[in-house]
Amino acid sequence: MHPDKRQPTAAWIGELRQRFPTEREIDRVLTRKLQRRAGPGFKPLALDTLVDGVRALLDAELSTPYELREARWLSGGASKLQMAFTLEWQHPQDGLSCTAMVLRMEPSESIVETSRKREFQLIRAMAGIVPVPPVYWCDSEGEYLPYPALIYGYVPGVTKPSAAASGVSGLGTQLPAALRKQLAPQFVAHLAKIHTTDFTGRGLDAFEIPAVGSTQCAEWGLNWWERVWEEDSDEDVPLMRLAAAWLRAHLPVLDRAVIVHSDYRLGNFLFTEPDAQISAWLDWELGRIGDRHQDLAWTTSRAFGSLAEDGTTFLTSGLLPEAEFIAGYEQATGLTVNPQTLHWYKVYNAYMMATLTLATGYRAARGGKTHQDVLVTWLIGIGPMLLDEMRSLIEQGS
Amino acid sequence: MQMRPQIQLQAVIKALGDVVLPAIDPDNRLALEQGKLAIGLLTLLAQQLSVQFAFDCDELARLIATSRELANAAQGGAGTQAAVAALDEATLAAGRTLDAARSSPADVEAAVRAMRAATGALVTEVHRDGDAASQAAVQTAVLAMSKQQLLRERSMLLMQGWEPDPKAVPPLADLRAR
Repeated sequence: MHPDKRQPTAAWIGELRQRFPTEREIDRVLTRKLQRRAGPGFKPLALDTLVDGVRALLDAELSTPYELREARWLSGGASKLQMAFTLEWQHPQDGLSCTAMVLRMEPSESIVETSRKREFQLIRAMAGIVPVPPVYWCDSEGEYLPYPALIYGYVPGVTKPSAAASGVSGLGTQLPAALRKQLAPQFVAHLAKIHTTDFTGRGLDAFEIPAVGSTQCAEWGLNWWERVWEEDSDEDVPLMRLAAAWLRAHLPVLDRAVIVHSDYRLGNFLFTEPDAQISAWLDWELGRIGDRHQDLAWTTSRAFGSLAEDGTTFLTSGLLPEAEFIAGYEQATGLTVNPQTLHWYKVYNAYMMATLTLATGYRAARGGKTHQDVLVTWLIGIGPMLLDEMRSLIEQGS
Repeated sequence: MQMRPQIQLQAVIKALGDVVLPAIDPDNRLALEQGKLAIGLLTLLAQQLSVQFAFDCDELARLIATSRELANAAQGGAGTQAAVAALDEATLAAGRTLDAARSSPADVEAAVRAMRAATGALVTEVHRDGDAASQAAVQTAVLAMSKQQLLRERSMLLMQGWEPDPKAVPPLADLRAR
């Protein structure tokens, strides 16, 4: 008997939760997604609705007068709605200030279902370590806004050169060689800082810490994405079944628990064009405490890279060859890279991306659940390339 | 493959209705009218897509039945006789086509989905309780099938621009012939 994924029953949700144990906060947001699935699709929201929601949140958070103005929509990103605005307020440290801010809010169901609470905590924890936007407030349950949201400071910069061509979500961006030379060292250095930061005492209580010396980290991750595949997929893919079995049979042991960004790539950082300095790392929503190899494998995915001018050299994240990237990382961190663990996480990441695009993207668009179903549908098309990368990796690893 | 016309049409219609149409200058009557007509035609297309094959088969059956009636009824000179002969020939060809069209595109899609699900379930189960040799054999077969199928899916979607090296993906017409 196949479950009706459009109208999940409590029994089916309970069965999935039992079959795929993972971190509590991940379980909470996935369960919430299924419980809401049979509800209405996403209806376009007026800007005023969001402004009213932000005001309600600010009324609860601020004890001094403020003025919200210049609210406007921001484009970019496949998963969340974004509104820019200016807040004139009493900043706790700086006094009376005019601060450019961004509201980042979930749609009814997203191509990637994540926790605003985790994203908020992680960005706050990384302040002063790598460039991140300042985060101010979080409406983790959608108490004030139509859906869960967070508010962070606007950071100047671009995700690609103003004149560059690229696909959606920053994929396929081609950077000039001179710019690559300036950005690549920062790209490596920032990842090294993220992975060598002591995460204890940084207010990350929405995260659980996997046991070092065990396979728990990899197992939590696999359970997360295998559960999402079960929840969201429409057409079955035998290769996805094979990949899940392969991943479970080869779970790597965690040698060191670190903060993992989980979407570390070109397109997810801002840089200022005049001096080519990275001004902010964005999109921390998939972040976890886990295995550094997950990030290393992610950045080297073919989906996020491009060929250099010679037409043959594949550039990790469009910035530098993989061997250079790995060597630079090892030098900056003093940590070694285990090729077998790296390989496992390459398969894992391809499995996760295929799940997001082929399963969740389809399910969200079919239910009319997002503010840009057309973009989410467009992204389904990357699925076969991701699957083929995963197929090739499993072949190499067998 | 998951990227099928129905989901594409649904998403395009929603984007046009929710985002594009409301953003058109209200004084641009031509753009507004054409925007609404574009949504209307796409909505019609979405409805038509799943029934078009059955609709055409139904018409073909009616044309075949009527042609026999017409052949009996039509009496006349050389021109009429030639037309009757041509209609007979067309009717025979149409009958062969209709006989061959017993499975619709929807039937084929449903069979693909059923086969994918059954194959996937086998892969899962053999990795749960099968022996190492059969797991290895299943893996080899699934990887080989996936390689061929994914190459075709990537070719089908080549215009989207996902491939880092598009020249490495052959045109779909060449792959279908293999």
